[in-house]
Amino acid sequence: MSAFLEYVPGKSPLHRMNPVAKLGAAALFAVACFCTSSLVFLMALLAAGLALAAMCGMVRQTLGLVRAVLAFSLILAVVQLLTTPAGVQLVQLPWGYIGTGSLIAALTTIVRLAAAAIPLFLVFYVTKTNDLANAAVKVLHVPYKYAFTFTSTVHFIPVFMNDMKGVMEAQTARGVEFDRGGIVQKARLMVPLCVPLLVSSVRKTNSAAIAAEVRGFNLRTAASGYKEYPMRVLDAAALAGGALLVALAVALG
Amino acid sequence: MIEITDFSFQYREGGEPTVRDINLSIPAGTFVGITGPAGSGKSTLTYAMNGIVPHCYPGDFYGSVLVDGLDTCETALTDLSRAVGSVCQDVDSQFVTPVVEDEVLYGMENFGVPRDEMETRLERALADMGIADLRERTIASLSGGQKQKVAIASVLAMEPKVLVLDEPTAELDPASSQSVFDLLVSYARTHGTTVVVVEQKIALLSRYADMLVVVEGGRVRFADEPRRVLAHADELLEIGVNCPRSTTLVNRLADRGVCERVAVRTVSEACDALEQVVA
Amino acid sequence: MVEFREVRASYEAALPVLKGVGFTIEQGEFVAFAGTNGAGKSTTMRLVNGLLKPDAGQVLVDGVSTTELKTSHLARTVGFLFQNPDSQICCNTVREELMFGFKALGLAGKGAAFEDAQQAEERVDAMIREFGFNPDADPFLLNRGARQLLALASIVVLAPPVVVLDEPTTGLDYRECAKVMNIVRRMHEAGTTVLMVCHDMEVVADYAKRCIVMNDGRVVDDGPVFEVLRNRDTLARASLMPPQVVDVSLELARRVPGLAEGPVGRANTLEDMVEAVATVAEGGLA
Repeated sequence: MSAFLEYVPGKSPLHRMNPVAKLGAAALFAVACFCTSSLVFLMALLAAGLALAAMCGMVRQTLGLVRAVLAFSLILAVVQLLTTPAGVQLVQLPWGYIGTGSLIAALTTIVRLAAAAIPLFLVFYVTKTNDLANAAVKVLHVPYKYAFTFTSTVHFIPVFMNDMKGVMEAQTARGVEFDRGGIVQKARLMVPLCVPLLVSSVRKTNSAAIAAEVRGFNLRTAASGYKEYPMRVLDAAALAGGALLVALAVALG
Repeated sequence: MIEITDFSFQYREGGEPTVRDINLSIPAGTFVGITGPAGSGKSTLTYAMNGIVPHCYPGDFYGSVLVDGLDTCETALTDLSRAVGSVCQDVDSQFVTPVVEDEVLYGMENFGVPRDEMETRLERALADMGIADLRERTIASLSGGQKQKVAIASVLAMEPKVLVLDEPTAELDPASSQSVFDLLVSYARTHGTTVVVVEQKIALLSRYADMLVVVEGGRVRFADEPRRVLAHADELLEIGVNCPRSTTLVNRLADRGVCERVAVRTVSEACDALEQVVA
Repeated sequence: MVEFREVRASYEAALPVLKGVGFTIEQGEFVAFAGTNGAGKSTTMRLVNGLLKPDAGQVLVDGVSTTELKTSHLARTVGFLFQNPDSQICCNTVREELMFGFKALGLAGKGAAFEDAQQAEERVDAMIREFGFNPDADPFLLNRGARQLLALASIVVLAPPVVVLDEPTTGLDYRECAKVMNIVRRMHEAGTTVLMVCHDMEVVADYAKRCIVMNDGRVVDDGPVFEVLRNRDTLARASLMPPQVVDVSLELARRVPGLAEGPVGRANTLEDMVEAVATVAEGGLA
């Protein structure tokens, strides 16, 4: 029953890596995606991302993510299709034309976004957010306050999504047609419900802050954690691999 | 363990219930149940014990509240929290980590429990709440009753002298509610912990608590052994607190002169009282 | 009115929640569903208004399978009170909140027929008087019990033939609970079919007429409320306890031979029990 961005327990090598190394390598991977325009290289990166997902048994979640990214990147791709006149002309437009080049540019955008997103999101599925925060505090010496803000934000995403689902169901049960029509219709119906959702989120964050405080939030330092987050060979290799990808991406242009 | 003297509190923002002229003395190791109608100030009273009032909500504070000898006004919330563990009403927003074991470790890490002690305390807290098998589970995958037990275990690991819980069984079914109370009582007996629990389910409090506190309109109306409090059934009903049915049954029969007037707390006590009558 | 035929349902294919549930509820019945968290009660309720569709078997509401209907359409037939009133309440004033359902169903506001709109206004006004609401109050500033009452009123006002209540008394104090349940009782007396999930066995005994006990995705008992509540063994299998008066009756009958067949051994309500014990005691004295 794992929700969006919610940790899925497991014992894969990715699960066991150092959280900071995971995030660093994923970030480098994403940078590499944005440094290259080579469709072939991007395809390879996308395939690598999917292979990583398969390795830690996260294929279902990843495909769901790819679908979401597709929906979003499709909009960008359409814009690009209409505004990048390149290659052999296919369709004449009043302001230019759609050519084979435009098609390739649009496809590149889609593949790039999907390839860049997969490892980043994968990090959240295979890493407990508190490990990520603790490691950031211990290894990078990030002040705990910021790390905690980060973890609680991520922690609240599924809570918020759950609340939103509850509100939508309750309104559907009253006859609001959330179960009919497309995304635009849903968004329009959702607007008046935002206020109650915000009210309940504010209440929840407030009680969460108090609950953290009475459990010694203020006392926490870089030395506090029970678990240690040493950098191992695999972690170094992952970071080096990420750097290599960036170099390769820049070289390929 | 808890000494409340002439305590009144008025929230600056208003709206919330205010408590007035509270005097309450809770000896160490007592299992205290607080009940009363909605908006009577039950939660505010517990906030006074764990220091959330006045440290987290601004307002006018009169009188004094001493917990384990610490004046809650003069002691920083963090220091107070070493003595008083709190489980809040909405456990879902209390959790700061995705996995049970990290949740229980969290408080210990912050309060600087020595490393070699953490593992023992972690195991013990989980065992005390009967959830040793849930150690590696994600919190999101647990049932309401299990989550409640994780929230309590994460506080027990800090070994507080006082444990304050705000409606821990509100969302639970009867079996899980009873299981939470069973575990709490047996923990408190073995460790000598003082437990303060706000609860609507009067039948549970009557059965488990050593001391029953009934709050109405911001004042303490009754604070005594459940048996003595339940003897005031009519006044309780007027306040909006319903006695357990077994208590009411015996009271009604006593009114008619059928049986002796005894304030019973449970079904089996009611049967003890009526057995001779119907035999 | 509501019929389940060998219904299987799940949120995730690998984890079946209902494993073959069947029952028929006639118009005008008041049925309580009891069981532990996770027994499948809430899932059953969600199937009734089509928020969830069965994996196998059929759910029929008024003779029509829910798979053929949208939830927003079923809303005309089935009113649903959610456990948390905050997911339901969404307007700025009590009056708007009560009008909201009419608007969603196209019976008021833009595009509604004049008579419908007028009737909606009248019903809302009547409801405000009946519940003693302040029509201009902001729902979010009301306390939990009042919000629950408002959420209930916003369903009652639409007068659906079936209402589904998911733990209507959770988090309420004794007075608020009695207030909410008395309104439910009045709806039932006016002919509404009521389906209610409730953990409080005292409430079940006080208000419901029939009780369906669920355990692990199956119905383990179904019958007139006190027949079910006197079945201690079946209840125990579903981790439930009888209400206290029934428990006293069963326990006394166990302790005192010959009592089981008499009035004490059959008393279900507080009043019956007082009379029964008094009769036996006075008879004994005589």
